[in-house]
Amino acid sequence: MEKTSEKVRNIGISAHIDSGKTTLTERILFYTKRIHAIHDVKGKDGVGATMDSMELERERGITIASAATYCEWQGHEINIIDTPGHVDFTIEVERALKVLDGAILVLCSVGGVQSQSITVDQQMKRYKVPCLGFINKCDRSGANPSRVIDQLKNKLGHNAVAMQMPIGLEADFEGVVDLVAMKAVYFDGINGETVRVEDIPESLLSEAIEKREELIDVASMFSDELMEAALEDKVTDELLISAVRKATIARKITPVFIGSAYKNKGVQLILDAVTNFLPCPSEIENHALDMNNNEAEVILSNDSQKPLVAYAFKIEEGQFGQLTYVRVYQGTLAKGDTIFNVRTGKKVKVGRLVRMHANQMEDIGKISAGYIGTLFGIDCASGDTFVSRGFNLAMTSMFIPEPVISLAIIPKDSTAEVNMSKALNRFSKEDPTFRTYVSEETGDTIISGMGELHLEVYVERMRREYNAEVTTGTPTVSYRETITRLAEFNYTHRKQTGGAGQFGRVAGYMEPVIEDEFVFENKVTGGSIPTQFISACEKGFRNCLAKGPKMQFPVTGIKVVINDGQSHSVDSSEMAFQAAARGAFLEGYAKAKPVIHEPIMKVVVETPTEYQGAAMGSLNQRRGIIVAAQDEGSICVIEAQVPLAEMFGYSTVLRSLTQGKAQFTMEFFTYKQVPSSISEELVKKAAEEKKNVA
Amino acid sequence: MLKKELIFRNPLRLMGHETENILQPGGFGAVLARAGLGKTAILVQLALDGLLRSRNVLHISLDDSVKKVCLWYEEVFRNIADQYNLSQTDQLWESIVSHRLIMTFKVDGFSVPKLEERLTDLIEQKIFLPQAILIDGLPFDKDMRESLAELKKLAESHSMHVWFTVRTHRHEEPCPNGMPVSLLNVTDLFDIIIQLQPEGKEIHVKALKGVPAACDYPELLLDPSTMLVKG
Repeated sequence: MEKTSEKVRNIGISAHIDSGKTTLTERILFYTKRIHAIHDVKGKDGVGATMDSMELERERGITIASAATYCEWQGHEINIIDTPGHVDFTIEVERALKVLDGAILVLCSVGGVQSQSITVDQQMKRYKVPCLGFINKCDRSGANPSRVIDQLKNKLGHNAVAMQMPIGLEADFEGVVDLVAMKAVYFDGINGETVRVEDIPESLLSEAIEKREELIDVASMFSDELMEAALEDKVTDELLISAVRKATIARKITPVFIGSAYKNKGVQLILDAVTNFLPCPSEIENHALDMNNNEAEVILSNDSQKPLVAYAFKIEEGQFGQLTYVRVYQGTLAKGDTIFNVRTGKKVKVGRLVRMHANQMEDIGKISAGYIGTLFGIDCASGDTFVSRGFNLAMTSMFIPEPVISLAIIPKDSTAEVNMSKALNRFSKEDPTFRTYVSEETGDTIISGMGELHLEVYVERMRREYNAEVTTGTPTVSYRETITRLAEFNYTHRKQTGGAGQFGRVAGYMEPVIEDEFVFENKVTGGSIPTQFISACEKGFRNCLAKGPKMQFPVTGIKVVINDGQSHSVDSSEMAFQAAARGAFLEGYAKAKPVIHEPIMKVVVETPTEYQGAAMGSLNQRRGIIVAAQDEGSICVIEAQVPLAEMFGYSTVLRSLTQGKAQFTMEFFTYKQVPSSISEELVKKAAEEKKNVA
Repeated sequence: MLKKELIFRNPLRLMGHETENILQPGGFGAVLARAGLGKTAILVQLALDGLLRSRNVLHISLDDSVKKVCLWYEEVFRNIADQYNLSQTDQLWESIVSHRLIMTFKVDGFSVPKLEERLTDLIEQKIFLPQAILIDGLPFDKDMRESLAELKKLAESHSMHVWFTVRTHRHEEPCPNGMPVSLLNVTDLFDIIIQLQPEGKEIHVKALKGVPAACDYPELLLDPSTMLVKG
């Protein structure tokens, strides 16, 4: 890491699931000589792609954790983060994009721009990450790169421009025409390692000239120099590359490359493109927040001599302790340094620094500004910032979506319980979208996350990695009870069973309140209830809240006022008044028209316009109220309020309704009264359950 | 009581429209003003009038985001509540917003056939049956006659009325009848046209078309601090 950061590229590879990004990464590692054999994702040799380090990933053929890796190409150092493609793991993509300076957006030449490509693209926009397009799988039947370029323009709004054109397609895909060098490029050898450059075949020449003109037209919009050269017909390769580079970094154009990673075609050229068109760390402006100055934004300089600012973007629990992936934005992180964690304020000694290559490590002495590396054995959470002594800067907090689904998990035995808690501790540290808590109502351990698959994968990981056998419950909804009108109570508790009896009378009223869960007010005058028993009354009422009389759901939004009562000099006690308050609660509650409330979620569905009607219909069927529909050209965003109870399994329904092209997010909105028909159903269900238990 | 009082505040009712529905099915109304005078505020007050009477209102905005449109409603409703010192309006608000649906389009992406397609989706699946449509931000600079005629047919067929905002320009001289040039070709399609006119520090609400002839309505102003119409 002694070289200048001008030759450094921190890139991510993002795409829709199954677009072949893991295969592309694998090939990149092969051509950059980081690995010496190719193993495919679902390969017959059972080894799996190098980047998929987890057993589960190999089995499912999908990438879950973003393994960071490093390689060199033409004198450039490239840090690659392989990112997951499935919507349920988007936090990984978000983290990767946060620390990266550029990205390759992999698209399938058959499937084109799919729903996940849209999400990933939005994330890239959010973090202003310049990107290159790579249209993969050009060897597949139905491959049509031109259509994908059109989709990039129309569906994602990219100013996409072809940098290459294919020589043959589908089974006849042989190589590509480089529209900058105006040469035909073929990939020979068993693994396509020999790049053969030849003249463009006669049959493709006129089309290639036309396409190059198009490229120059687009690029010249962002470079006066190129514009002048084009007018004088003096366009050089360097001039064209420089114009495209400038526009790409400014996110004005998206250069598009083509190939087939699986068939080893076009990968070396995308590596060239990464070095030619994506920015080095100093070309990107990064900001931190000054915690001493009301979180004012501070521009960081990509200078290794300045005080350290490093960002922990990923945590992994390895075999020998915690691995913390960091990006150094400013200064240098060296072995033996003492650094400070801004969140905890604790100082940390840097023991070992490594560079990760999937699940293998390489020891290094320091990480300079602009580089990505891994800290070994340091306790921190993802999203933490490390700084030099005396500095208090934090990197901008990442956008972390709220979990949308919860599930109860029950360990099978005590060993599983211990292992489960270890696993949950690690997962929630690694992944901020994965949360866990113990339900106060049921005592169960609840896990929540971004989708059914998200939680499923973690449950599976608990089994495999921690040997924690757990059973999962069905997702449950937390209902509440409340009252809707004022009701009076006047209850006397009297018990005489020999010896000292129990006596207490509590009178007053209860009424609904909006903002508080429970309010207790004592308006007793003249000592009709002695002061020492008032707290017993409150306790008696409070004890009734955990399980409401109507449906055993917690009671909220209730105000109890006591204004009268009676006591007995011998028979009154705290216990007697607690019992009297319980009786008074039941008496008043029955008259106060109790109702059941259910959680209502704000659901936002993002769908291609053609499926808008179907998506709206599906929300409507789920007792949803459509609040708004935002038409954004090819995409429509529907906002609705839907009861949580109706949302289970919705992702599957939405996918099937929209051919997987729509996606949705969901967050808690409010509690609302359950319609009477549903309330009756709940009562029936509860009665049945009671019967079954009996 | 609360609802009735609020309904009474409808600016057009103060202009002498006694009947419940100011516009008949298929009827068009327009609120004219230069940029920034309060067209959307008037539109939202018209919408609230319908919502308070449990009418379903479809608000279409071609300028603003959904979030901004929602803010308009909250702001105007809060101002009305403050003006009458109303407390505990939460339930009332809850009861009216369920009658509102907001749709936003990009100006270029909006067309009558597109609206018809969306409406069909809503109506056929019984998701939302609008009784009034409000279109905010439709450009009247080009020839709109054909589109508006189509829209009128559509509104008639679904028994809805439509309110528009029309942006006028400072540099454009109005026609002799006071109508802006952009509306001249389509004036006949509109039943009611009201205009916001700044005079000194005040914004006057004036009727250009459709106010009952015998009506001697009080002079109306738009309060710039609350954006509410006052008599």
